[in-house]
Order: sequence, then structure tokens, then C-alpha cells
Amino acid sequence: MREFLSRLVDWFRRDRLERELAEEMRFHRELAERDAVAQGVATDDAPSVARRRFGNPTAVAEEARDRWSLPRLDQLQQDVRYAIRGLRRAPGFTATAVITLALGIGANVAMFGVVDRLMFRPYAYLRDPGTVHRVYLRATYRGKEDWGYGGEFARYLDMRKFTTSFSHLAGFALQTLAVGTGDASRERRVATVSASFFEFFDGRPALGRYFVASEDATPRGAEVSVLGYEFWKNELGGRDVIGQPLQVGHIATTIIGVAPEGFGGVFEPGAAVFIPITLYAGSNPGQEDRATYYTRYNWGWMSTMVRRKPGVSVAQASADVTEAFRRSWQVERDIDEGTDAIALAKPNGVVGPMKTAAGPDRPLEARTALWVTGVAAIVLLIACANVANLSVARAMRRQRETAVRLALGVSRGRLIRQMLIDSLVLALIGAAGGLVVAQWGGAAIRRMLIASQGASLDTFTDWRTLGAVTVIATVAGVLAGLAPALLSGRGDLASALKAGPREGMYHRSRLRVFLLVAQGALSVVLLIGAALFVRSLGHVKEFRMGYDAEPVLLVSFNLRGTKLDSAQGATLRRDLLAKAQSIPGAVSAAWVSSVPFWSTSSQGLYVQGIDSVRRLGRFTYQVTTPDYFSTFGTRVLSGRALTAADREGTPRVTVVSESMGRALWGAQNPIGQCMRINDPKGPCTTVIGVAEDIVQQQQQLTDPKRYQYYLPLEQVGSSAGSNVMVRMAGDPLAQVEAVRKALQPVMPGQAYVKVRPMIEAVAASQRSWRLGANVFVAFGLLALVVAAVGLYGVMAYNVTQRMHELGVRVALGARDADILRLVAGQGARFAVAGVVVGSGLAWVASRWVQPLLFQQSATDPSVYGAVAVLMVVVALAASALPAKRATSADPNAALRSE
Amino acid sequence: MPTPAKRDLLPGLLDLLILKSLSAQAMHGYGIAQYLQSASRDVIQVQEGSLYPALQRMRQKGWIKAEWGTTRNNQRARFYTITTTGRRQLGEEQSGFAELIAAVQRVLRPS
Repeated sequence: MREFLSRLVDWFRRDRLERELAEEMRFHRELAERDAVAQGVATDDAPSVARRRFGNPTAVAEEARDRWSLPRLDQLQQDVRYAIRGLRRAPGFTATAVITLALGIGANVAMFGVVDRLMFRPYAYLRDPGTVHRVYLRATYRGKEDWGYGGEFARYLDMRKFTTSFSHLAGFALQTLAVGTGDASRERRVATVSASFFEFFDGRPALGRYFVASEDATPRGAEVSVLGYEFWKNELGGRDVIGQPLQVGHIATTIIGVAPEGFGGVFEPGAAVFIPITLYAGSNPGQEDRATYYTRYNWGWMSTMVRRKPGVSVAQASADVTEAFRRSWQVERDIDEGTDAIALAKPNGVVGPMKTAAGPDRPLEARTALWVTGVAAIVLLIACANVANLSVARAMRRQRETAVRLALGVSRGRLIRQMLIDSLVLALIGAAGGLVVAQWGGAAIRRMLIASQGASLDTFTDWRTLGAVTVIATVAGVLAGLAPALLSGRGDLASALKAGPREGMYHRSRLRVFLLVAQGALSVVLLIGAALFVRSLGHVKEFRMGYDAEPVLLVSFNLRGTKLDSAQGATLRRDLLAKAQSIPGAVSAAWVSSVPFWSTSSQGLYVQGIDSVRRLGRFTYQVTTPDYFSTFGTRVLSGRALTAADREGTPRVTVVSESMGRALWGAQNPIGQCMRINDPKGPCTTVIGVAEDIVQQQQQLTDPKRYQYYLPLEQVGSSAGSNVMVRMAGDPLAQVEAVRKALQPVMPGQAYVKVRPMIEAVAASQRSWRLGANVFVAFGLLALVVAAVGLYGVMAYNVTQRMHELGVRVALGARDADILRLVAGQGARFAVAGVVVGSGLAWVASRWVQPLLFQQSATDPSVYGAVAVLMVVVALAASALPAKRATSADPNAALRSE
Repeated sequence: MPTPAKRDLLPGLLDLLILKSLSAQAMHGYGIAQYLQSASRDVIQVQEGSLYPALQRMRQKGWIKAEWGTTRNNQRARFYTITTTGRRQLGEEQSGFAELIAAVQRVLRPS
């Protein structure tokens, strides 16, 4: 092995070795001659004596040279040189092929980066990743089995208690909290993790220590924090921070350690700060959750990771988890009678991949990413087919050259290899271009797919990406080179040698027809996908969410530990609202406790005649002020909205959403009905109005359960909510800073305001559809262009080959129109064949695309029709130019050559 | 001056002799040739040219290292040094050779 390596190294520097050997031998001869003279040999005879002693220098050099030559490598180098020479002689062909391949490879490398990061790339420092899993739990509710159970801390404790398969268990969740004090404070990614979390990893702290089990205990963990390395370096200058205070949200912590460089836990990108999970949960502003999070199953917010003990299989571990979940379910049922029986709920679970995108319950983004990867693969296939087609045409043009090489004794095997090397060289150049495309286009795709910013990846230095690009390019090169290689291995030598280009026969190559139709068909598939996703995105955008997000700015506050009693709080709220309403350009403002797509809350509801309201679904509430409906644009359909008259001391009232009214009271009019909040024996809250449904989560776009009710802030009187919605008259984006400046002075002490356009949250919810539409359109158009170029190339080539035949036709009386029809008709036939095959493929695939589409049938005939027309038109356009040239066929030339 | 009888080298022995020569000190190709001749009192006769392919082979096997340097007469020459691997190889070949010689002598011993 070692010897082979040094031979390889020597092969690369063989020119230098050769020179050195020559110098060495000359030196030897000089010394030999000198010594010979010294021993009394005549000066004239000395060279021949020296030569006799040395032997034949040519033979010596030859023998030494054998030591650093690798014949296979030499041959390969020759072939590559030959390929490059050939490609340089055909710059048009080379450019087309390289650009096509670069786009195809680039698309795939970009998607590799995304999918790898979403699903496979292991976390830094994670020890023995094969034995580490995330726990996925599911249960059946109302006949529907659903993942997404097991987010409760009490459940995590049950898993610890009831399982035996795991050496380590840890709970974790990522929060966005304000970190730091004063102007330096920013919202950061804060990891709330069990003390055992760090035992999954190998990295020792760069500074200080991690927190330990005694600091992560119920009911409330110790006020300690561990910094992420990058946060420590970039924000705190990497100084000694151990023992210093750090404000995290409303918790004052003491820094006890710094994680090692590049350590991100299981978070991507990594967290700025790590705090004990029980510190976070035990400090929850929600009074009830803070006290009960470890005994009750009301608050689902975290995930569980485990490490299998040696010798425990994944199946055994999953069975263990299922059993533990069943026992835990029984515990929950003993506490809460509303919980379904085990026989009905069928609780079960598995241990799966840490990354949810690779787990059993893939988020929509991950599914879209996989689709996009498929699309990218199709683009690459089209590119390969195109290059194969061009290469076949080129090979046919070079038939005589090939025949000459064969006649000169080059083996057919070598010829086949030559064709493969040709296309591999093209693919490698394409791969270099593809890396540029991926770096440039991949960033855009990643931004759309991986929500978190800063997930940057340097395509050029990441070895996983470079490995992928090599594999992709090799596959592409072989795919594109296969057809011409097979072709060049065939053929009748004698007739090829005899035939000049003038007598060149018009070959109808079945292979080329197949490649053309395949290209057309794949383009049709992508175009249909593009049209479907564009229409789907259109539906998403047109969909009435139940509010106007565009004109609304969302103002959030962070009190940062400034303590206010309830009177002070009420005053601050009133002041802020008054100030917000007085901002020039502000139409109205309302205080809100929850924000669609960011945070929603629910609480216990009791309605006469319904055993368990909770079982009907999630009922979210909004605690707000009278101007809410006019500010957010949610329409009140019947009854009345909340008014300033709904104060403390007046009867408790609420407005419910349309679907909530239907769910609770069926066909009866909800207005005037009574519901009790948090206490089955508490006072009635009377429904006074019905508002339109609103969408607060991505799933609610498709799920009609949009249960929401509104309570007047003055009656709830709690500290609920820390956001104000302001409806602006002009462009809200332009007024973000003005609003912030106007409101900041009202805030007491360390508190600060943050202003964001509401549309941001809504746009994020449309991300996966937007991504699907953008990518399909981009790739679909790319495919169309590639297919059109391919068709044009083939038609042009065919016409050149048929010039003689066409001339004869003209001589026999064919008119221009006949010739045009003949050539363009052929192009159209290819297109129609592509449309038929492609539509069939798209129709088969529609079943799987359907769930990704929003209110759009995947077999919409109008989409198929439009794509078919587009394809035929493009085909006609692509064959128009060659057809035009065909009409110039010269009958004289044709007849003269007969 | 009586010329001692020249003996051709058994195949494979050249490597052993080169390694042995280099185990004392670094030498250039001509130096090795001279050393072999004088150390064997002119009995061993190699075609000096054949040293060079052998040196290349041994370098690729990692037994010796080659570096350019200057001779005492300030001439540029390539010097060869034995490596640790080379010393190990020398040990093996030496004992192998000793066994071979012993075996050959046992066969040749008058019975």
C-alpha cells in the first residue's frame, strides 16, 4: 500500500525524477573517470573504462523509469488529454454540455446540502450517534392516529421511570428569549436541557463546567447558565465570565461554563445559552404550569432523547417505550378523567432518528425538501439525456475519425472508454460550475427550507458536499456517456471508412428518439408540477385567514425583570395603548395576549351537555381590548364585538369563532350560551358575538377546527399578554422604526419594545408552498429550455443529414410548405410523444403530490392541457429554424451528386 | 598486482549490501559502489548502473531516503540515508542470509 502510494507520488513528479536520475548518473561517471585517471588509466581511455564499469546507461534509466510509471495511469492521462483536445475543438458543443450539466449538478448539490443538514448530518461532539434517538409517541384520538404526543415534562419523567432500555435520557427544548441587559440584550436561541443532556456528548467545556443533576431538579432548577462558544466569543469577547450574571428571559442566571467550540447540542444552528430545563419550566410565567409541569400532562413543549444500552435493539427499545407510554397514559387517566381509555387511544411509540425530518412524522418542510430533491434529480436526468444526445450527434459526425482510429488498431474497448472519459471530463467541468451554482442558489433554497438563519454552509470546503458532488458528477458522466459509448462500440468499419460526409446516410437512431422523448416527458412532468404548485400558492395567498396581516405591526414588550404591581401594569398598558393610537399613521391599536403563528394559549372550558370539551380539540383564546376586531380586521358575523363597556364588574362576555360555536352548540345559535372557564362550577361567560374563523397555525389552513374565543382584558384583569397590534394607514414596513421610537420612552426601567410586521409570521406559514412553487417553476423552466435546446440540436442535425434527400424532394416538386411541414411535423411528433408519456408519469405521481398542494387538484385537466400546448409550441419554435433551413435545400446539388 | 577473482552477486543480495553500506553513514550512489568494492576487497563486482534502479525501488519501499546535498569537493550529489524501516529490513535480511548460508554450508559439508 505504502509502496503504491509512493509510486503514485513518483508518477506525478516523474519528470523531475528523470532529470535527477540523469544528473546522478552524470555525477557518477565524472567521479568514475576521475578515479580511473587517478589509478593510472590514460585520460583518453578513462570514459570507456568508466562506462564499462557502469553498464548501459540507457538500460539503467529505462529500468529506473519503470519504477515510477503506472501504465494504466499513463493511458488514462492520454485519454483525458485526447478528450480535452477534442472538446476544445468543439467549443459550442462543450459549452452547451457543460452549462447543462452545471445546472443539473448544481441543483442536486444544493439539495444535497439541504437534505443532508435536515436529515443526516450528525451533530458535532455527539458520542456514538447510532445509539442515540429521539422518542416519538403517538395515540389515536377520534379514530385518527397522530404523532405529536410526549411533549410533557411529566411524560419525560415517566419515560425515565418506566423504561429499562436506556443508559441515558434527557429532555430538551429550544426557546427564543431575550438574553442580556440594556441595549446589548437581544432575542437569542436558548436551549433548555436536562443535566444529563451533556452526557450524550464528548466535548469538555471550554471553560468552567456544565450543570449537574442537583442543579436540574423539580420544582425549579438552579439559576445557572452555560454559554455557547460562539456567543461567548462574539458577544462577550471570550473573556473569563465564570460567576458573572446573565439575564435570560426574566430569569437572572449565573454563568458557570462555556461549551466547546462548534458545540450546538442537537440544535441547528446551535444555541447561545444552555439553561436547566427545570429552571425554565419552573419559572414559566403561567402560574399553573410552573407548579404542575412535572406532575400533570397539560403542557406539551419539549422532546426526549435517549441512548440505547449496549445490546438493546431499536425494536426492543421501541417496545419498551410503547409499554412505558401505556403505563404513563394510565397515570394521566387516573389524574384526569377526560383522558381516553388506553383501549381507545392505543398509545404507542418508537425510538427514531434525532432529526425530525428523518423521523416518522416529517414536517411539511422536510417532505417538500424531499420532493424538491426528486425534482433536482429529474433536472439532472434531463441534462444527462441532453448531453447524451449531443454526444451521440457528435459521435456520428466523427464517425470517420472513429473508423480511422479503429482501422489503426485502437481497440473498441478503448474507444468506449474514450467516450466515457469524454463525458466524465464534461461532468467534472460541469461539477465545478455546479458548485458555484449550488453555493449561490443553494443559499436561497436553504433560507426557504431551514427556517433558522445563519445555517450557512461553505459548499467549497465542506467535505460531505465535495464527496456528494464527486459522486453526482460521476453518475452524471457515466449516464451521459453510456449512450455514445455503446454506439461507438458498434458500427460497420468498412462502410464508415468508405462513406464520406457527402454520402452520409440519414440515420434514424432509435436511441436518440428515445432520449428526446424522455427529455420531453420529464420536462412535461416538471412543468405540470410547476403549474400545480403555482396555482396552489395562489390559493394559499388568496385564502382568507380571518384577519388582515398586511397593515398590522406587532409590538412586543419585554419587561426584563422590572417588577410591576397590577395597578402599575394596568397603567402601563393603558399608557402604551394610548401612545400607540396617537402615533401618526396608526389607525387603531389593541392589546393582545396571543399572536397567530407565534404563540397561542388554551385553558379549561366547561359547557353544559359536553363531557369533555378538551376532547373536541384545542380551543385557543385571545385576551384583548375593544378595538381588536377593527385593528386586526377579523369580521364579527353576528351579535356584537367587545366594547369598552365590558369592564370588571359587568357580566362576563366572550366572542367565539364560527367553527367553535358549531362545535359546542351545533345548530343552536351560540349567542346567549354560557361557558365556564377554568372551573366547572365557576360563573357563566356569556357568548355575545360570533366572529369569522381565523388561521393561527399552518395545519389550520387545511384543518377546519379553528376554535378561538375572545375575552375582554378588563374582565380577565390578569397580566395576560405582552403584545400590541397596531393597524397602520400607510406602508407598515416603512414605519417599523417610527413606531418603536414612539413607544420605547413609555417603557419603565430595563424594559424594551420590539416591532415586527405581522405579515412576517403569515408569510412564514406559507413557506413550504412558496418553496414548492418557486423551485418547481425554476426547475420546470430550466427543463423546458434544456429540452428545447436538445430538440433544436437534433432537428438541426437531422436537417443537415437529410439535405441530400430534401434536395431530391424539391427536385421532384416538393414546395417550401411541404418541406416545412415535414421537418416541423417531426419536431411536433417528438413533443406530442413527450407530452403523452410525461402526462402519464405526472398522473401516476399525482397521488403523492396531492398532500403538498393547497386546494388544488393534482390531476387538474386545465393544467395538463396548458402544459401540453406549451410543450408543442416550444417544439415547433425549436424546429422552426432548422425547418427554414431545410427549405433552402438545393435540388441541383442533390441531383449532381447522384 | 594480482587481480582477485570477480564474483557475480546472488540475486536479492544487492538490497542487503546497499542497506548494510548505508547503515554506517549516508552515501551517494558512487560512494556505495566504491564502498562495496573496497569492503569486499574487490571480490564483489556489480554493474554500477544497476545500483540506481535498486535505489529507486528501495526508496519507494520506504527503506531509504534520498536528499540532495554537497560533497566534500562541493559538488551536488544525491545522498541516501537508511530509515527505521530500512534498519528493520536490514536486520531481517541479514538473519535470513545467515540462515541461508548456514543451510548451504550444511549441504556442502563433506559427509
